[in-house]
Amino acid sequence: MINLKRAVGVFSIALALQLLGGCAVAPWERGTLAKPQMALEPYPLQTELRGHNYGAREAATGSSSGSGGGCGCY
Amino acid sequence: MVVIKKTRLSLAIEKLLRNFNKVSPAVAFASTAGDLASAASVATPPGNLTNNRVSPALQALTAAALLLPGLAEPVLAADDEATIQYGHYEESNRDIYSRVLTSEFGYDLKKIPNNFAPITVDSLHVQGKTLLRDRWRFTANYSEDTWSGATPVATAPAGFGGNKVYGGGSGVKHLEPAAGDTISGATPYIQSLTPVFDRNLNPVLDKGLDAGFNQVYGFGSQPLTHTMTMASPETRKQGDFKLGYEWDEAAVDVGGGLSLENDYESRFVNWGGRLDFNSKLTTLNFSQSYTNSTVSALLDHDSLPYLGYIGYTLNGRSDNGYYDGSSSKGMLHGKREDIATNLSLTQVLSKCALAEAGVGYTHSSGFMENPYKATYAFFVDPDLFDPAAGVYLGANTTAYTEQRPNQRNQVNLNLRYVQHIAPLDAAMNLKYNYFLDDWGINAHTFEGKWVQPLPWGLTVTPTIRYYSQSAADFYHPYLVLKTPGSGDANDPAAYRALNRQYPHFSSDHRLSAYGALSGGVIVNKQFARGLNLEMGFEYYTHQGGLRLGGGGEGGYADFSAYSANAALKVDLDTLGRGLAEGGGDHRHHHHHQHGAAQPAGMMFAHMMNTADDWMVGYQYMFSKQAGNLLQGSRPISDTAITMNNAVNNPNCAGEQCFVAPSDMAMHMHMFMVMYAPTDWLNLMLMPTFMDMGMNMRELGGTTSPANTTLIGAAVNHADHEHQTGGIGDTNISALVKLYDDKLHHLHLGLGVSAPTGDVDIHLRPTHTYELGLIHYGMQLGSGTWDFTPTLTYTGHLDAWGWGAQLQGIKRLQNHNESGYRLGDMLQATAWGSYRFLDWLSGSVRGIYTTHDSLHGAYDRPHVPIGTMDTPANHGGKFWDIGLGLTATIPGGSLAGNSFGVEWIQPLRDDVNGIQLEREGALSAQWNYMF
Repeated sequence: MINLKRAVGVFSIALALQLLGGCAVAPWERGTLAKPQMALEPYPLQTELRGHNYGAREAATGSSSGSGGGCGCY
Repeated sequence: MVVIKKTRLSLAIEKLLRNFNKVSPAVAFASTAGDLASAASVATPPGNLTNNRVSPALQALTAAALLLPGLAEPVLAADDEATIQYGHYEESNRDIYSRVLTSEFGYDLKKIPNNFAPITVDSLHVQGKTLLRDRWRFTANYSEDTWSGATPVATAPAGFGGNKVYGGGSGVKHLEPAAGDTISGATPYIQSLTPVFDRNLNPVLDKGLDAGFNQVYGFGSQPLTHTMTMASPETRKQGDFKLGYEWDEAAVDVGGGLSLENDYESRFVNWGGRLDFNSKLTTLNFSQSYTNSTVSALLDHDSLPYLGYIGYTLNGRSDNGYYDGSSSKGMLHGKREDIATNLSLTQVLSKCALAEAGVGYTHSSGFMENPYKATYAFFVDPDLFDPAAGVYLGANTTAYTEQRPNQRNQVNLNLRYVQHIAPLDAAMNLKYNYFLDDWGINAHTFEGKWVQPLPWGLTVTPTIRYYSQSAADFYHPYLVLKTPGSGDANDPAAYRALNRQYPHFSSDHRLSAYGALSGGVIVNKQFARGLNLEMGFEYYTHQGGLRLGGGGEGGYADFSAYSANAALKVDLDTLGRGLAEGGGDHRHHHHHQHGAAQPAGMMFAHMMNTADDWMVGYQYMFSKQAGNLLQGSRPISDTAITMNNAVNNPNCAGEQCFVAPSDMAMHMHMFMVMYAPTDWLNLMLMPTFMDMGMNMRELGGTTSPANTTLIGAAVNHADHEHQTGGIGDTNISALVKLYDDKLHHLHLGLGVSAPTGDVDIHLRPTHTYELGLIHYGMQLGSGTWDFTPTLTYTGHLDAWGWGAQLQGIKRLQNHNESGYRLGDMLQATAWGSYRFLDWLSGSVRGIYTTHDSLHGAYDRPHVPIGTMDTPANHGGKFWDIGLGLTATIPGGSLAGNSFGVEWIQPLRDDVNGIQLEREGALSAQWNYMF
């Protein structure tokens, strides 16, 4: 549980920094952010397929999605 | 300058109005916000901002930009989109070590060659997205994957033995390995190990006798090795959907789905939402899901006699897992529930950077074991210590089905950062995930992507990923107890003793400590008219030595894998707009098209008449055989098939008949891309993906031989469904217009079918026997290059349409790589259709097919046990009637789409030899021409 506390701490600091760092970006200044390559998830199809591969092989992957995926019992 | 300003501004305003009318979703942000921003900057002199004199145009644009949703949504998605994706995943072979006889009586430890087929997975994903009404969107997914190959079932010190060799040829039993042997297709060999331990319970190698006939032991560390097991192909299918509603600054969605496998069923529901605030600089995402799964795993009947499943019998009939031995098959049943909650915050950091932080919690309960993994337990009897040699001898070995805790709490923390790299107009996408759970596993994942747009509509994205995890508290490659065992795998006292020391245990390497490094590339090409091709490749290596900070599992569990995929996306909006803006010709063209709807089960029947037209399509075909066994066109009795158990029976490839198919189902997915370089020529590419399943039954009056014989093992293996699936053959065709006067049309199709489907799919070895190739009818392709000509006539007048087609398949090679070829085929069909609504037509057609029987036979190991294994029992003459409906969408954003279904009802079968009656076939087709 010590690990968990430390992780939550690091996470909160990161979150706070992020919020503080977020300066006002006017709507007309968001052209770059709107480019396709700037998407948080630029390739949903690839992410899903790779996620399925990882999920069948890794203990920590695939636990957070509620989208099926089967047993992966091989 | 003024002209430019006006043009860009009016463009932006036009888009803005479009968004006011049809408050367009997150996806519009990409195309609109960029333009708005640039329009605003052009429209506004630089001094304006500092002087606080904001122009009306800027105010309008600002208001419009704020109406657009936040940044957290995938901006590449379209409103209406169809996607197909094919993926292939393949692992490397595992290293196998074994104690090998190297001299007359002496053993040594060696890495031995093995040619296990590695794990391969072929997957197909079809997705349809549509904007139902202004603010409602709907996404439906269908996916399936078929996997097969060899996988680790347990782990032991290599010197104890744990894999048998197979000398080659069906009918040869698996044996203990000798020098020079190759391990191939071994069945799990989790008994008869030779465990020896030193005084500290470390494993010792029994080296047999030296030249002077003295017993020799090898002390010191020795590698571990997996015991491998082969799996016959198995298929999983999943369907799911999502329905979303959007407000200007928020969205919600609900979804659900079903995943089906023979041994595992999952049902899931999910819901989520998005809230934009802080002038849309900040977005909050929330999602929750519930999954309910049922496991019904058939335990390997080879290992049942010595597999300890008592952990489940002691449970009673609990949802956490219980053993059901009521039939001759041993089954593990269990249920599992997962509830996951995720919360994330996306924040715009600057004009060129944004970040996301998220937290997720998943609670899982119930049966979380992998039912096919066992853990060796060595019961060392303290009384059997040999002080002279310094070793414990005669330990009892049992392999127990693994036992994991019935609860698991998991926490995920994510950080993601996206930075625009202005000089290259690229984006750097970095992601970190920290995971921990109460099984003792914590894991770090680092991911990086460099999204680089290039000219010609290309985007190239190199990707890198590193993953590292610690082991679960209860992970042990194998278990050792200083307690005498009973020798009975399901002895309660021995199991209780084990449980006191190891309440939970698993040797699944997924729960071990290791690291994984992977690198890959994604290439995306945007074609004109809304077609998008995306290809991905990734190489992945799993190694104990790659664990962060060291201390990972030994090299015996290392493996690597690659995965490759290709996806075609069709943006129906862009296409629809193209049609709307492209003038009346296309519309007229479509109207013309739906005047003569063709039955959905037809192939190569439709030709495009305008140069530079494109068509994409998807055709699904399901066919089923069940009911009577026919000889020619008459039902035949079981005893007539077995010829009273004749030993050399022509009905069953010259062997004794034991089984016959009871039902067989085939699903085919065909994808078509067609292009018209001129108005008289169409070129067409048609890859296929398919899966099949066959159930068999023992023929009446037969007595199946004992499992200890090859035939007995094969017959025993036929008592559960055989499945195959993957890529089928690929057709490449040219359609040439011969005649067209608007009323009558005639075209010739010249095609070849490339042998991209497998014809060497094996059954898994069983009862220590190699069963060789699966039934002919379950291979995925013909294995030969085939010529596929067609001649099609169509006509239409007012609401009536009619047509006829001749279609042939001529095999261009005498035999395929497995030694046989399928028969040639000729089909004649004629139909009539009537359009009773502007958008809906019905069709009736008659079909006659003659199909030659299979020529040659398998020239590799194969064990014929029934009628379906006889080359002569293939093909025949068939008469069918087809009833179909075709809907063509005449207008709106989905104009140009056509959907058809057709049921094909068999009227008469006249089969070659003895075959199962046909029940019918269903075809469904979607086409989009643009």
